[in-house]
Amino acid sequence: MQKSRLTRDWKECIWGWFFILPTMLGLIILNIIPIVQTIYQSFFKTGSFGRGNIFVGLENYKNLIEDSSVWQSLINTFKYAIVEVPLSIVIALVLAVMLNRKMRGRTFYRTIFFLPMVVAPAAVAMVWRWLFNSEFGLLNKLLNTVGIGEVNWLSDPKITVYVVAMVGVWSVIGYNMVLFLAGLQEIPRDFYEASEIDGANVFQQFFHITLPQISPTMFFVLVTRIIASFQVFDMILMMVDRSSPALPKTQSLVYLFYRYAFVENNKGYGSAIVVLLLVIIMIITVIQMIMQKKWVHYE
Amino acid sequence: MKKIKYGTVIKHILLVTGAIIMLVPFVWMILTSFKTISEATQMNPFVIFPSEWRIDAFENVIRKMDFLKLYLNTFLMIAGRILCAVLTATMAGYAFARLKFKGKNFCFALVLFQMMVPTQIFIIPQYLMVSKIGMLNTLFSLLFPGLVTAFGTFLLKQNYMSLPKELEEAARLDGCNIGQTFLYVMMPLTKASMVALGIFTALFAYKDLMWPLIANTEQSTMTLAPALSKLQGQFSSNYPELMAASLIACLPMIILYLLFQKQFVEGIATSGGKL
Amino acid sequence: MKWKKIVSVILAVCMVSGLAACGKDSGKEESKKTDNDSKDVELTVAIWDSNQEPGLRTIMDGFTEETGVKVDIQVTTWKDYWTMLEAAATGGDMPDVFWMHAHQIDQYAEYDDILLDLTDYVEKSEKIKLDNYPEEISDIYIADDGRVLGVPKDVGTSALWFNKTMFDEAGIEYPDETWTWEKFREVAKQLTIPEKDQYGLAMKPASDQESWCSTVYAYGGEWLSEDKTKSGFDKPETLEAMKLIEGIIQDGSMPEYSVLSENDTVALLESGKAAMVFLGSYMLPRLSANDYVRENCDAAPLPVGPKGRCSTNMGLAWSASAGGEHTEEAWKLIEYLGSEKAQIQQAELGVTMSAFNGTNDKWAAYEPQFNLQVYVDALEDDVIYPYSKNTQVWYQMILDKMVSVWDGKRPMEEVCLEVADEMNAYLAEE
Repeated sequence: MQKSRLTRDWKECIWGWFFILPTMLGLIILNIIPIVQTIYQSFFKTGSFGRGNIFVGLENYKNLIEDSSVWQSLINTFKYAIVEVPLSIVIALVLAVMLNRKMRGRTFYRTIFFLPMVVAPAAVAMVWRWLFNSEFGLLNKLLNTVGIGEVNWLSDPKITVYVVAMVGVWSVIGYNMVLFLAGLQEIPRDFYEASEIDGANVFQQFFHITLPQISPTMFFVLVTRIIASFQVFDMILMMVDRSSPALPKTQSLVYLFYRYAFVENNKGYGSAIVVLLLVIIMIITVIQMIMQKKWVHYE
Repeated sequence: MKKIKYGTVIKHILLVTGAIIMLVPFVWMILTSFKTISEATQMNPFVIFPSEWRIDAFENVIRKMDFLKLYLNTFLMIAGRILCAVLTATMAGYAFARLKFKGKNFCFALVLFQMMVPTQIFIIPQYLMVSKIGMLNTLFSLLFPGLVTAFGTFLLKQNYMSLPKELEEAARLDGCNIGQTFLYVMMPLTKASMVALGIFTALFAYKDLMWPLIANTEQSTMTLAPALSKLQGQFSSNYPELMAASLIACLPMIILYLLFQKQFVEGIATSGGKL
Repeated sequence: MKWKKIVSVILAVCMVSGLAACGKDSGKEESKKTDNDSKDVELTVAIWDSNQEPGLRTIMDGFTEETGVKVDIQVTTWKDYWTMLEAAATGGDMPDVFWMHAHQIDQYAEYDDILLDLTDYVEKSEKIKLDNYPEEISDIYIADDGRVLGVPKDVGTSALWFNKTMFDEAGIEYPDETWTWEKFREVAKQLTIPEKDQYGLAMKPASDQESWCSTVYAYGGEWLSEDKTKSGFDKPETLEAMKLIEGIIQDGSMPEYSVLSENDTVALLESGKAAMVFLGSYMLPRLSANDYVRENCDAAPLPVGPKGRCSTNMGLAWSASAGGEHTEEAWKLIEYLGSEKAQIQQAELGVTMSAFNGTNDKWAAYEPQFNLQVYVDALEDDVIYPYSKNTQVWYQMILDKMVSVWDGKRPMEEVCLEVADEMNAYLAEE
């Protein structure tokens, strides 16, 4: 008895490693090694072409702590995430639940909400910039005609980060929706049938069956969306001009990293910024991993 | 009876409003692609329709860009990455969700860790690896960053975790070993997530700009995204052509999505209902 | 039975590795192919401006006809070009021939195994004599130790573009070579009619190369000392020029800063919002494609300052990879592109102003309805757009700081002095 138990554990162990081996090998080569290199690089004043690096110890980190633009970017990143993550999740979940049932135009709606995912980001950014243009944009012209004044969507330091976040919501709704739709498919139908017999209405069903059943998907979406929103970069780069007065209050940490590492050729400092970002995301993710026990229902 | 009707009406109003907001930018893209450069850059928001519906921009980009080749390369990249991603992620996802083995938690932490790092930092080290083995400008270099996926592993792990345990136990009692249980009982149940992962892998690969830009610079292995980015000049962009090319480029993706979204509706709902 | 299934899993895994191996094989074959048929060598050429691609294509077809060497032009946008080139340089896989810029050359010149040393080639060449190009331009691409690292490709000067219709309506004479910067300021004020949503001028911090950098030099000031060790932003002449700019901003002759920051100045000219803007010669493809500009606008020389007229000039060069497989052919291509014949062709096709002395009358004739001769004349009073080893760092800092002046938040003098301090700190590190 004892022995067979042991061999079973051992077999499971071998199967487990066999299953994860390709993934782990790939991850180590493709990702873990570059990450270690980046961390290593953050202790150097870097030269061009990976040559002439000078070890400077913690100097990059010292500069980082004293650099107010880094902390401002961190705040900007938080602001972005606070708008983008909850809005995109709630809207996508409502859409997914609505579109999961048989209804007229289901395919049509699903396609529409998915569209932002398939177009070139450069084209999307160009269109939104035009819509939000303070002087010539359609949005402000409409606001003018109804008597509300003009808003500097992309150059007012107070609101630009939220405007970019709204475009972020627009572009990820389809993504979240697809994930939720996939999650909803795995809820057994008899759960709903049984509750209908018990006389539950749509809302009761949503809160008592759909939400708990979809919680593992929800957890996945939440974790990946938070991580992704902390890495926001493209949209800011393409929508907010470098000379915009709103940029200091809009640029994210990754934007700052990009600027140092790829524009100003200061890869050491750029790496230090990435390490800071990494630590913050890690803390948030660990908190989520611990919290999941409270609300995620696994079978 | 009346109650339900109200609900339906509200539902449709919401959906239609949402759909309009989603569509405005696309309508603008389509309109722009039929304009002249002057019209497209005109700063009068009320010049909405082109004065004349020109197809010059479409003709120009079709002449300039070898779309067949671009489609083919992009398709090869997408197909290869989907195959790798779905295969490795399904196996790893199952192991992380259902098997007990030493080092599991540490390995899964590495998977999560990978996702936390902005992808920009991987580009140059990965480029140097491919360059060192002399594989730049090949099909392999297109696939390289997508050989494995932390995102997909996590997605499928979540999915396996939400499946009922009874199924697996029943299979084991029937004498299936772990591999058989996985292959014949568990894996088919995650079809929806595998399709979702396939769609995302396709989208990420299709939009991947930086990597093919530096690793596949030759025309023969160029993909759509970097080819599109060429249309943006340093001092000016030809907006009608950019929009026309974007539209042509995203058509196959929309068609693929339309084909695959069926998987979300019919395929899996029945297998879930059988439980 | 059991094994069959295990085998199927293993097979699946093998497919992944098989796929990778498959890619490898096809790659090897491809590279072998190019080795075997070394007769038809194909050079890769990297550039960043897609507007120039068609013209360069035509020129390079001429090269292929003459030598049989094929050329593949790869366009990467300016934003990604330097990331691509740096990665390629680090990995030793650069394109054979590519554009080089003054802001970047010093970094690439630091090591001798990155850019191909063209010194001997140039010496032996009959077609390339560096005297044929403006000295200040060819000097940019000669390293401190005397290595020639690039052959000049083009030059770029600036001019004042104005809306003839708006001048006619206001009854003001078109700008000419007698205009001073003070006169310019006055007219900008007169042409500003906020009720009509019309402004005298559109100029932003990032318009420096076309406008206010030139102003500084026209006033006898400078951005950077000649030996590139000190900032010139604290010099009295510089401050005088920058205060004139501040005056223009305060006059209200420009649209609100939010409008400027969200739109290109050229877009404001094209849409009839700005009566005057400063634009570089490299903008010609865009301007000549715009019907409104063709109908209403023309070019005039930059205004003069106390020290005369001055336009910044910036020219690119063709460089080659030191580690390339076909360095001989790469040189042949550069030699061809720098030759008088190809340079004249480049001007004639309206691609851009050529670096070869005396070829640009042909460029000015490309679009006869615009007074493009002013760009050619500006070459007489040019100053090289300032650069040092790590230009990007201090250049971006200047632009960022100037935003607060344009925005009306801080006085110009204070910002200039601050710029000088920070710039000196960066320069000391170089």
